[in-house]
Amino acid sequence: MKKRLISVLSMLLAIVLLAACGKTATPNASNSTAAGTTTGNGGAKTYKIAYIARAQSDSFAAWLANAVKDEAKKYPGITLDVFDGEANDEKENSMIENAITNKYDLVIVQPNNGEAQRPYVEKVVKAGIFAITTNARISGIEGASSVDANPYEQAAVNARAAVEQIPQNAKVVVLKGPSGNFHADERRASWQKEFFDKRPDVKIVGEQIANWNKDEAMKYMEDWVQANDKIDAVISMNDNMAAGAIEVVKDNAKFKDMLVYGVDGTAEALLLIQEGKMTSTCMQSAYDLATKLMETSNKLLTGAEKQIDTDIGNPLVNKDNVQEYIDVLKKAGAIK
Amino acid sequence: MNQNIKLRVSQIEKSFPGVKALDKIDFTVKKGSVHVLCGENGAGKSTLMKIINGVYQPDGGQIFIDEKPVKISNPIQARSLGISMIFQEMNYVPEMTVEENIFLGNLPVGKLGNVDWKEVRRRTNELLKKENLPYSPTTLLKDLTVSDIQMLEIIKAVSYNSEIIIMDEPTSAITLKEVEKLFAKIRELKARGVSIIYISHKLDEIFQIADEITVFRDGTVVESHPREELDIEQVIALMVGRKLTNTYPKEEVKIGEDILRVENLNNGNVYHDVNFHLKKGEIIGFAGLMGAGRTEVMRSLFGLDPITAGKVTIKGKEVKIKNVRQSIENGLVMLSEDRRRYGIIPVRSVKENTTLSFLQKVFYRFRLHHKTEKNIVSDMFSKMKVKTPSLETTIQSLSGGNQQKVVLAKWMIRNPDILILDEPTRGIDVGAKFEIYKLMTNLAQEGKAVIMVSSELPELIGMCDRIYVMCKGTITGEISRKDFSQELIMKYATGTLISNEVN
Amino acid sequence: MDLKNVWSTAKKKYSIFMVLFVLFFICSIINENFLTPNNLTNISRQLAVTTILAFGQTMLIISGMLDLSQGSVLALSGVFAVSAYKSTGSLVIAVLVGIVTGVVCNIVNAIMVSTFKAPPFIATLAMLTMARGVALLFTKGQNLLQLGNFVVFGQGSAGIIPIPIIFLVIIAIFTWYILKHTRFGRSLYAVGGNEEASIASGINVHKVKYTAFIINGIFVGLAGVLFMSRVNAGLPNGAVGYEFTALTAAIIGGTSFSGGVGTAAGTLAGAFIVGFLDNIMNLASVDSYMQQIVRGAIIALAVIYDIRSKNRRTKSAMGRIEDKEKPKAIKAK
Repeated sequence: MKKRLISVLSMLLAIVLLAACGKTATPNASNSTAAGTTTGNGGAKTYKIAYIARAQSDSFAAWLANAVKDEAKKYPGITLDVFDGEANDEKENSMIENAITNKYDLVIVQPNNGEAQRPYVEKVVKAGIFAITTNARISGIEGASSVDANPYEQAAVNARAAVEQIPQNAKVVVLKGPSGNFHADERRASWQKEFFDKRPDVKIVGEQIANWNKDEAMKYMEDWVQANDKIDAVISMNDNMAAGAIEVVKDNAKFKDMLVYGVDGTAEALLLIQEGKMTSTCMQSAYDLATKLMETSNKLLTGAEKQIDTDIGNPLVNKDNVQEYIDVLKKAGAIK
Repeated sequence: MNQNIKLRVSQIEKSFPGVKALDKIDFTVKKGSVHVLCGENGAGKSTLMKIINGVYQPDGGQIFIDEKPVKISNPIQARSLGISMIFQEMNYVPEMTVEENIFLGNLPVGKLGNVDWKEVRRRTNELLKKENLPYSPTTLLKDLTVSDIQMLEIIKAVSYNSEIIIMDEPTSAITLKEVEKLFAKIRELKARGVSIIYISHKLDEIFQIADEITVFRDGTVVESHPREELDIEQVIALMVGRKLTNTYPKEEVKIGEDILRVENLNNGNVYHDVNFHLKKGEIIGFAGLMGAGRTEVMRSLFGLDPITAGKVTIKGKEVKIKNVRQSIENGLVMLSEDRRRYGIIPVRSVKENTTLSFLQKVFYRFRLHHKTEKNIVSDMFSKMKVKTPSLETTIQSLSGGNQQKVVLAKWMIRNPDILILDEPTRGIDVGAKFEIYKLMTNLAQEGKAVIMVSSELPELIGMCDRIYVMCKGTITGEISRKDFSQELIMKYATGTLISNEVN
Repeated sequence: MDLKNVWSTAKKKYSIFMVLFVLFFICSIINENFLTPNNLTNISRQLAVTTILAFGQTMLIISGMLDLSQGSVLALSGVFAVSAYKSTGSLVIAVLVGIVTGVVCNIVNAIMVSTFKAPPFIATLAMLTMARGVALLFTKGQNLLQLGNFVVFGQGSAGIIPIPIIFLVIIAIFTWYILKHTRFGRSLYAVGGNEEASIASGINVHKVKYTAFIINGIFVGLAGVLFMSRVNAGLPNGAVGYEFTALTAAIIGGTSFSGGVGTAAGTLAGAFIVGFLDNIMNLASVDSYMQQIVRGAIIALAVIYDIRSKNRRTKSAMGRIEDKEKPKAIKAK
């Protein structure tokens, strides 16, 4: 009796697992089928692109991966497979190696840590395969192309505005991304050079690593609010953390005029800017990146060019221009 | 002195707190002979062997090898002196290969300290060939049978060039055919001049293999003789030959009707065709040597182990026992032989340990009734004379005897009809033993019934109305009180006599 | 029982509360912002989610198990609850969906641990990965926004008491009640203290383990609702590593990893010790790297204390048992 129960249960578990696997596998499977038919029917050369994402659990990376996937559908001669580096250098490097082995025509790498992936991207080039690094670029690889937003610039557009906006002798708090992360470090360095060095009167009353997370940022902000009567500005290295800080003080009249800066241009940040709760962010548009990436890929594969380094713009988003970005997102269905 | 003597121990003494384990032991083993040690459980055989193997240090006395005095401070030193021991329960790593096992702890190394696996392979092959064993050096131990592994242990001993090999109950886990193989090996080793010390309970085997027999009792050597001078009857008499002390609070109780009836009980090859019955007011005993299957039968009745066939009737109603809860519902409870493993929750209080069997009694109407619990436990404790600093004391900090009483108290609050006691007095002091005997008598007077499994014949004889004796997984004899004698029990227990009524 | 005995029992039983009290006292002195009603409710609100998780861990650790999947299952329950709210507009349905998700994941944990005898560490590690995967798959890795009234659980208050604190208090009392006043609670201690002896005492060990996981599932589901509501977003990658914060609170609170020991009050105290420390370090603007070192050191101290006191316990017990039991093989007659 009991044995039967166990075997039934284990079968159920297996079925559930299989079903789950089936679901996850579907997008990839459909991509491959598409590849098969194109080659069979057209006779024209189809190109295979491997897109190796930093981590599907990172919301920007996931957004970018989805955008690239959608963008790739516009190119009939190209099929694109997405791989997940799981925020792990080791894993990501082996994915790059697999892509070489599987003879992709072009490999796009969104590095987890630029220096760790550099030798592997060099291997891609050496194998005669086109390589593009993106978000963030690994610069200085002979023969590899890159498409990126410049993290220094992304923070700098905010910082330059802040030099004018933040009042004299202001007290500010700083929310940082994980240390050692390229974007986190570059953005912080940019704020230092473009803002803090120019405004020695401004005092940092709290600076913590909130790991890009909204919940961690909230906790730090709550404690800072207890310790300080007044916080004039929140300088956050991304929008998630900025939104966390705002969440804490949104009903607190004392902090009504607090300035908040972020980077990324997430849907949440755009809405907050629209409501007047957040000051500005820099749009790092996954759509723009995706478009540029596919354009670049197409140029490389068709032999138009051998090597391309290009940047998307770093537009500052504030309450004056936020509506146009919101409209774009609404059209894409990301927000209602 | 005698050139033939390989090992001689002289006036060895060893005490454990409160007990003299070995008292002035003298004992010699000749070259190229098989010397059998026998005696009841706990007579001191194993302690002496552990001293010879360097596991224990003697308190006094001297060991001689080849008539030269030696001091053996650990098993590794014993090995270098040519002594190897093959244990009753072998510990081995199932994923290990034959060659790794043979050279474990003794791997030949190259210049850089790296293991020389080629050498290992070569020597393993050599040994396997020499000993005529059909295994490959890379076979995993888990793919071998117990007797194969035993053979490997022997090979290992041979590979150390051991001149004295101690075997502790080597046949307890192997089949009859495998015993033959083992004996052939032993004879071969003997012919090579190896001395073997062989510990066994099984008298029939002993007479097949022994050159000399030494009988131990209560930490002393009773007698030592060449095999030709002894027969089984004599050995049994020597083993049990002590007067019974009459310290058992046994009282005459009116015996009622059957309360438990067990018919043709089987569990795979653990035990087979077990038949017995128990009446109200009765105390019955289960005697037998280690591994005879007594504990296993009781565990099955209590729902801890499965029953593959047979019929159990409690109070005239046939019951199917699937788990402990059912047994408890049927009024049958059991005190396990391994108190630390199956009896106590070490880190919890004596109070919680006591009420664990009957939580409904203290948790009802959506809460714990502290007072009720305290009263139940302290009443039971004073009745059973449990000594504890407080009811909140953790059970692990009590003495063995008091722990045992707490575990018993746990069952007594259920007011059971049938109480199975498996080695209830093992490792506890005299006072606590007496309390437990007293309790058994009281229960019998109340019309309950008790089954006592014990390896101590005096207490079985002192307390029981009837005794069943088990040997090799089945009941070999049933003895009623008027016929009780240690000799008779031993005959059944060693399988030299099988009662007709039972089988 | 003499006075010395009373003192040593008290020391063992209440030492954690003394530590909490001393810490509270020190914090109040060194920072004037610490001892304000605002700050104290603030700390409780911050602690609500991880402390609720810690109560789940406490029950599991007492019975000799643990749950590494709490953070992931919390995220999964949370995003399910959020999207249930967004599509139905019913807070009740949202909470139910959250709880059911937590319970289902934990029943799977229980199947692996109890029925298939997988080590809890490995089994719940598997669930950690699976639940996070489902949460990310379900949301395509994107945060769910515009939660509307859903934020009431995490941000609202009843009178002056924030709702998360009400949840925390209810769950603390519930845990205390379960551990102290139910057969199931008593069985948890027994199973964790000695599983074989529990079976041999007629305890239904399977039922105990399943129930422990199911209750943990309810807690995790509720925590998921509170968490998402507090951050005003459905974060599929939120609450990473929360299980370790919860474990830390339980261990500091005197729950023993060897099973059979632990209390609800101890865990609550453990959670507040961690909370006070974090809070005071932030109020005093301690460097974030330094904070990590301090947190690690506290865990190490708590574990060493647990092991040392356990060694002392077993040593004294062994001493007594050994004396009597050694002769068991030899038997004096």
